[in-house]
Amino acid sequence: MELRKTSVRQAVEAVYNRELTAHKLIEQTLKNCSILNETMNIFTHIAGIDALEQAKAVDRKIENGAQLPLAGVPVAVKDDICYGVLPTSFGSAAFKEFISPYTATAVEKLMDAGAIVVGKTNLDDMSQGSTTLSSPFGPTLNPWLAERAAGSAGAAALATGVCMLSLESDNGGALRQGASDCGVIGLRPTAGRISNYGLNTFTSSFGQVGISAFSSENISCAFEIISGFDERDASTAVCRDRSTEKHAVADIEKIKIGYPVNAFDYLEPGLREVYEKTRDEYAARGFMFEEIDLTLLREALQAYYIISAAEASSNHARFDGIRFGKAGKATDLEELYCKTRGVTLGREARRRSVFGTFLLSKGNYDCYYRQALKVWNMVREEFAAAFGRYDIIVLPAVKSLPRPLDEEKEFIEDWADDLYCAPVSLAGLPSLCLPVGRVGQLPVGMQLIGPPFSDEFLVEICNRVFR
Amino acid sequence: MADLQLELEKAIRVIKIEVSSSEQEELHKELNNFLLWLEPMLDLDTKDTAQVLFRHDAFNVWRKDRVKQGELAELQEAAPNFAGGFYLVPRIFE
Repeated sequence: MELRKTSVRQAVEAVYNRELTAHKLIEQTLKNCSILNETMNIFTHIAGIDALEQAKAVDRKIENGAQLPLAGVPVAVKDDICYGVLPTSFGSAAFKEFISPYTATAVEKLMDAGAIVVGKTNLDDMSQGSTTLSSPFGPTLNPWLAERAAGSAGAAALATGVCMLSLESDNGGALRQGASDCGVIGLRPTAGRISNYGLNTFTSSFGQVGISAFSSENISCAFEIISGFDERDASTAVCRDRSTEKHAVADIEKIKIGYPVNAFDYLEPGLREVYEKTRDEYAARGFMFEEIDLTLLREALQAYYIISAAEASSNHARFDGIRFGKAGKATDLEELYCKTRGVTLGREARRRSVFGTFLLSKGNYDCYYRQALKVWNMVREEFAAAFGRYDIIVLPAVKSLPRPLDEEKEFIEDWADDLYCAPVSLAGLPSLCLPVGRVGQLPVGMQLIGPPFSDEFLVEICNRVFR
Repeated sequence: MADLQLELEKAIRVIKIEVSSSEQEELHKELNNFLLWLEPMLDLDTKDTAQVLFRHDAFNVWRKDRVKQGELAELQEAAPNFAGGFYLVPRIFE
């Protein structure tokens, strides 16, 4: 079975019709994972006997008449999301063999539905980045052009056909930029639609579990299962009646699409043409694109980096060798802290911890941090005003093409690549990234952004319009 | 610049990481560039804007505190080690 050409529904049907067993499907998938990982470096850990045992258990449940909507579906899980069977490194070499004592809610829900975790996917240093280039385990190669970075290893796993769903995290845009770089679909849901319980995020305000897949139909299938209130995550939204969340998309040609022209000025050559061509094609089909101004993108990005660095400095404080982290030999407490944190935090995590502590210190707090909190509010209001006039807004997902593996970039240039994604994280809005074209061999993705709780609406639009 | 250097050193002390002198030099340069990069955001007029307090515009529903006396015996039973009215925890430093 070629996973890229098969929908989740078809795969589950095949398992139920006994065309193949869940065990056979997972056995073959694990072989493919191992072969690909040697060259692509997609996984930090690949499942073994446990996954095969789980697949056997799924086969037994099916024989006993159980209805499992994801029976035997192979899933990849980003390595900052806890899974009690395989190690969870959080993107730190110090945690390479750490096995979490519990499993994240989103993973549990997928497994309860019959999905099988085939591996944990690579990530940047403490999940801080959108390239995998700062990973302590080496970068993941882009499946379309091996001398470039993949952006997200989960997206690379989908693009190479070694899983059907990828559970990921998104802070300033890793999920969406990865989806763009690898030519798959990625959904960062409204803040609180999917439980973050079991996600180790460096920025508590913006970290969000999301899902990527090769088709919007697969996204829809998984989102239905993993979204919802979780009593273990107080920030999850209580949705009393799911039917009220679904916007009517009866007359889809009548949706109004906001197109922020000013935003497209920052793009690397070649990318602008892709987005303009997409707009023109859909405008020719009768969709209403209207030019709008989003005036705060650059400032939103800067506010994001202030707030997220401040939160990183606080969140990283627990890796001290006593609460978390492998304690090194030390003669006193101070030395223990320094030694442990020296090996736990990589270069990017150290940079953000230092900057965050600096920004929160007396004398800098009001000037930087408080100002960023106010800009955060302005960004929310600007998006809210735009959604008074438009059903969705489109924005590029990336400012530049995937990075060459050997290219050294100034860290600020690297951060500036989040220009189109970080403001959406700041506003807590749902954003679906879908492939819309190519520059050379490399795919390019575009974000469909909707008002809060319009997640299903975005998937539906993707399914019906931008298929 | 000298002030920035002092503040940087303070931040490094606060977060307790070992930093080589070359890394510290690099961090100083990076912090300086970062602060320059932030200037457009600092120029925004925000005097009439409230700061965000919560990730969501939603409020928790509070219940009244219910104070009840815990059972010491139950707690002792749940503890791995307990002696003389104290919990015993592993020694970190010898």
